[in-house]
Amino acid sequence: MKRHYWTSPIAIYLFLGGLGGGIMFLAWIMSAFVFAGQADVLGPALAGPMFIALLCLALGCFFLVFELGQPPVFWRVFTTATAIIKWGATMLSIAMFFNLFYVLAYVPWFPVFENFFMPFRAFNLGVAGIMGLGIMIYTGVMLSTLKAHSFWATPALPILFTTSATSTGCAAISLSLGVWPGSVHMTMASYLGAVAIHEVLHVVDIVLVFVEIGILLIMVLSFLGSGTRTAKRAAKRWVSGAYAGWFWIGMIGFGLVIPLCMYLSGVSAMSNGVAPVLVLCGGLLLRYLCVWTDDRQPLPGEERYYNKLPKSDAQFLHAWEDGDLY
Amino acid sequence: MTRNVMVIDLRRCVGCQSCTVACRTWNDLPMDIIYNPVLTEGVQGDWPNVHRNWLPTLCMHCENPECVPCCPTGASQQDEDGTVWVDHTKCMGCKVCVNACPYGMRDVSHMVPRFDQYVRKCTFCRDRRQNEPGKDPYCVQTCHQKARIFGDIEDPNSEVSKLINSVETFRLFEELGTNPQIYYIPFLGGHR
Ligand code: SF4
Ligand code: SF4
Repeated sequence: MKRHYWTSPIAIYLFLGGLGGGIMFLAWIMSAFVFAGQADVLGPALAGPMFIALLCLALGCFFLVFELGQPPVFWRVFTTATAIIKWGATMLSIAMFFNLFYVLAYVPWFPVFENFFMPFRAFNLGVAGIMGLGIMIYTGVMLSTLKAHSFWATPALPILFTTSATSTGCAAISLSLGVWPGSVHMTMASYLGAVAIHEVLHVVDIVLVFVEIGILLIMVLSFLGSGTRTAKRAAKRWVSGAYAGWFWIGMIGFGLVIPLCMYLSGVSAMSNGVAPVLVLCGGLLLRYLCVWTDDRQPLPGEERYYNKLPKSDAQFLHAWEDGDLY
Repeated sequence: MTRNVMVIDLRRCVGCQSCTVACRTWNDLPMDIIYNPVLTEGVQGDWPNVHRNWLPTLCMHCENPECVPCCPTGASQQDEDGTVWVDHTKCMGCKVCVNACPYGMRDVSHMVPRFDQYVRKCTFCRDRRQNEPGKDPYCVQTCHQKARIFGDIEDPNSEVSKLINSVETFRLFEELGTNPQIYYIPFLGGHR
């Protein structure tokens, strides 16, 4: 293993992409199925979360482009159909456009947009929601198709990422529901709708956090028990090695079990305010740990070879530039 | 049709790293990029029965490369003769291919300006072979032990064909299904 080729920007991109996708997907499900026929009432309440989702996707794309070796030519990502990241980028772009169209229908200061986009908002939300689901799955599939990396190449990873993205989406919606400067649209019915959505998401997130704990433990422990040598080594790092503190205390403890207890304790300031924030932090930590676990099966002698090479800050490599050769 | 492959005779390699240096010179590589490291697991066995083996490597120019279909820009390509290469005028440096290669044979230099980083890899000296047909990759020409042998596996009279058809060879991580096109003749004593 020479070094990590993907670092923080990719972890943040995967987190924000999943989070944005999760918010859009849940907003669509709530509006189109759970509270079908209430779109007029719920629309203004969901505008805030949808705007947050738009910001997440835009920021995620910024981090992705920033990580590129040649950011000015990022548009080439759309050119090859066999590449999974082409499809990811396409879904992100479509989602952002339709999300923007949805949000514009609720911008209070520009009645032109409002009048134009309002009739299409169910359609816009539908497209954004379906793309959101695609993006959540894609963030996991992008890693799991790279079969050189034992810890990524498992179908459990897209399932884990999708569950985590939906759960973080629940948390973000809970925090931002009804928060929207265009309160001109917010009627008493909208506020009641927001409370109803909150109740539903509260229960949904309890289920999702349970499921996520299960998938995470099954994935990591099965790697530890029966994975390839490389996967075992990586899983050991999570369970009892360098990442153990982050995994057990950070991700399982503060990211999942503690918020779960808060959720289960009923509706309170803790379960409304603190638990969703912890779920969001846990989701980010999950992406970080996964991106950093990019272990590849080494060729015989490969690790020895690269460990012996000088690091890029070795003094002799820069002696020429520093002018202190003699 | 031509299908270029390399046979590496591990019985002959003495670990001098001449091929590594030759490659760096021909391709004018930045300091942090190595296309063809010569690996070793160090001295093995107990005195006095000790031995040390060397494993020269390079891009496997896989028949089913992991690195080509995943490239979103079309920069990663495969020629008809099997050569896998990167058109750096198209590469945007997303490093998907670097993460896709199971052999770790692609890299991005950090010693070039931050926003001018593209993926580099061995091309079997594609430029050299195009400009001077019949020439071997520079590492092959440089190996004084004749441990690296290059040629067309489809030509029954080529040295690589004869070797592959007459002595035992193995390939790295064959189980992955990439069908690597670097054939190794095992070390003396049959060590793989
Ligand atoms: S060894 Fe790696 S870089 Fe070379 S063709 Fe195979 S997958 Fe691609
Ligand atoms: S780094 Fe370049 S060659 Fe590799 S997948 Fe991305 S665009 Fe293609």
